[in-house]
Amino acid sequence: MTNLNTSIMPTWCPGCNNFQILAGVKKVLNEKIKTDDEKEKWAIVAGIGCHAKIFDYTNLNGINTLHGRVLPTCLGMKIANPKLNVLGFSGDGDAYAEGMEHLIHMARYNSNIKYFVHNNQVFALTVGQPTPTTEIGFKDKTTPRGVKISPLNPIKLMLASGASFVARVYSDVKQIEYVLKEALNHKGFAFIEVLNPCLIFHNQNYKNKIYFLQEERHDKNNFEEAWKKAQEFDYNSIDDKTKIPMGIFYQVEKPVFEEVVGK
Amino acid sequence: MRLNILFGGKAGQGPNILTHILGQTLVKRGYYVFYSRDYQSLIRGGHNFNVLTASNEPVYSNDFEIDIIVALDENTKKIHEKELKKDGIILSGKYENMHFAGRVFKILGLDFELLKEELKKLRGFDNNLIEAERGYESEDRKIILNKTEKKGLYFINGSQGISDGAIKSGLDIYYAYPMTPATPVLSELAGKQNEENILVLELENEIAVVNAGIGSSIAGAKVMVGTSGGGFDLMTEGLSLCGGAEVPLVFYLAQRPGPSTGVATYTSQGDLKMALNAGHGEFPRMVVAPGDPKEAQELTSQAFYFSQKFKIPFIILSDKHLSESFYSLKEEPIITKSEKTTKLIRYNSYEQDETGAATENADIIKKDILDRLKKKLEIEKEALKFEMYNVYGNKESKNVIVSWGSTKGAILDAIKCVNVCFLQIKYLEPFPKEVKKFLEGKNLILVENNSTGQLADIIGEKIGVLIEDDERILRFDGRPFLADELKKEIERRINDKS
Repeated sequence: MTNLNTSIMPTWCPGCNNFQILAGVKKVLNEKIKTDDEKEKWAIVAGIGCHAKIFDYTNLNGINTLHGRVLPTCLGMKIANPKLNVLGFSGDGDAYAEGMEHLIHMARYNSNIKYFVHNNQVFALTVGQPTPTTEIGFKDKTTPRGVKISPLNPIKLMLASGASFVARVYSDVKQIEYVLKEALNHKGFAFIEVLNPCLIFHNQNYKNKIYFLQEERHDKNNFEEAWKKAQEFDYNSIDDKTKIPMGIFYQVEKPVFEEVVGK
Repeated sequence: MRLNILFGGKAGQGPNILTHILGQTLVKRGYYVFYSRDYQSLIRGGHNFNVLTASNEPVYSNDFEIDIIVALDENTKKIHEKELKKDGIILSGKYENMHFAGRVFKILGLDFELLKEELKKLRGFDNNLIEAERGYESEDRKIILNKTEKKGLYFINGSQGISDGAIKSGLDIYYAYPMTPATPVLSELAGKQNEENILVLELENEIAVVNAGIGSSIAGAKVMVGTSGGGFDLMTEGLSLCGGAEVPLVFYLAQRPGPSTGVATYTSQGDLKMALNAGHGEFPRMVVAPGDPKEAQELTSQAFYFSQKFKIPFIILSDKHLSESFYSLKEEPIITKSEKTTKLIRYNSYEQDETGAATENADIIKKDILDRLKKKLEIEKEALKFEMYNVYGNKESKNVIVSWGSTKGAILDAIKCVNVCFLQIKYLEPFPKEVKKFLEGKNLILVENNSTGQLADIIGEKIGVLIEDDERILRFDGRPFLADELKKEIERRINDKS
């Protein structure tokens, strides 16, 4: 039995939602990885921000790389060794601000990488500045007059960019477990956004506003339907009527980068 | 014998192919040939020209004075007439380019069959043959070339040198985003993907390129990334990551004039200090500069050797003049074999403990930094086993020229009959401190393709030898040095001192 834990004491805040993601991912990996040999077939890449501490708490080979550069790093690893199972982890700063171009191109490339975006809608590790998915009106020390620009809708962005697997879940062990298993069964780039409220700087209560696409009659192979569902939540305005769809919006089979361009 | 032939015309009229046909033929016949390309950043029209210099002695550069001008358009005549020697020849008129090929071959007394052989390699053979025959018939033999024997020379440009060196070193993957003048290496390697079992990929930008390079390298591949100044700027955070996380990566940096977009298709040596200093933080790196395609092969193989052995970023500095000029060379390069040393473990962009986890522990931070400094010393020691510099000319002369990179060619040609020593620095980092013995107390002449004399500053910093402003011959108009002009300038400097 191999051990996926490290000896590092977690430094996330007590009760941080990132613990849910870590636990969900570990649960799935512990089922998949039983021996040290099997462990060698897996790699983890994280960016910079609170999310990235997951690298220190997960005993897999890989790299805690530069801010925003998780995806090209994953791509390079996959090209050099297509047999490697590569898991990427980013925050919303990583994925939607600093490294946005890589996200769009990765959707095009469709490399067989599983990618989590811990979206807490705030730059938490730099103490609370707005990101591209922060709502209008959000204030902090650097934005005393409040955010004036509408947030980005990453689900729409990924659908428009041609991503072959587009999902959103809440930071809850069970949801993480479910979506990672589905993603690992998908051949190609899996984009998984985790709505992951930050207890300190952006504690938005989404829990009672979410519903599951896979519990409805949602056809995840239908692009039009996915596009419609993607518009139900705009990351901006929340009121009593707000309903946030969770689960797999869209899934389609597409040529995989390393199989098409590889040696 | 030193013969200069200029082929000029609009982009699309084909001055390149004419130059290459003649160059290849002369090299096959045993003549030494060098040709450079001067072209604008446009696709059709404008004014492009190549100068081909041929000799029965080794030749590595062009001259200002031209023997034959082949004017594919009227503009070429107007622009270059002033460079024509008194008894020089101008070929012009409204003909297709192979007509001119025929005329030049006849003027030089080259057998028509030689031209026919070259035409067979091109598309449109029938039409080209008719044009070439007509041109050949219309001329007389006007220049008697010195007799020469076949020498087994090979004809190669700097980009092919870099590419060959990388392939012979076991390159697995080359990543790049197109940028002149690094692009010829991209196309050269891309064309050899199947036969050499390498992978060449263009990604969305230079940031993706360097980070994919890092990903592939830590996953166990031998990787090179290529770019020019602006793209290298974008790569520098990745360069710093290589230094901190100890990731082997070879950077091919082909210089063009900056700052900013600068002059896209011209030459410069303005990025030496950038290569030496780019990237935040303190970490070991290596920087070398080949002076010709043979050295490009050798130093590229050394780049893979050192980057793998010491797990460091290694920068190969080239420029437009070296990367796109063709050289006829005889000696085969000495390739340094390199072992693949990386495997996937836990890497970190943070300062890290022995498990690969991020750390803020003062003792570990200090230890990591000391380890990197120690590695720098080990690299310095290992580098001494290699030819870090070349010395040419009269080693006893009190006059010493010092330079680096592609200026080597013009300097070698310029000093053939001058009593002077020429020191060419190939390793810029680590710097060969022993060259002090060649420089101290001498009349120094620095030659560089930049406006400030960056190597002079490095020499001052590393070995404390000062090179004054009036000891610097600098060219910074995007053009390479020309041998005849440079010779006059060197002689003037020497005479002023004596």
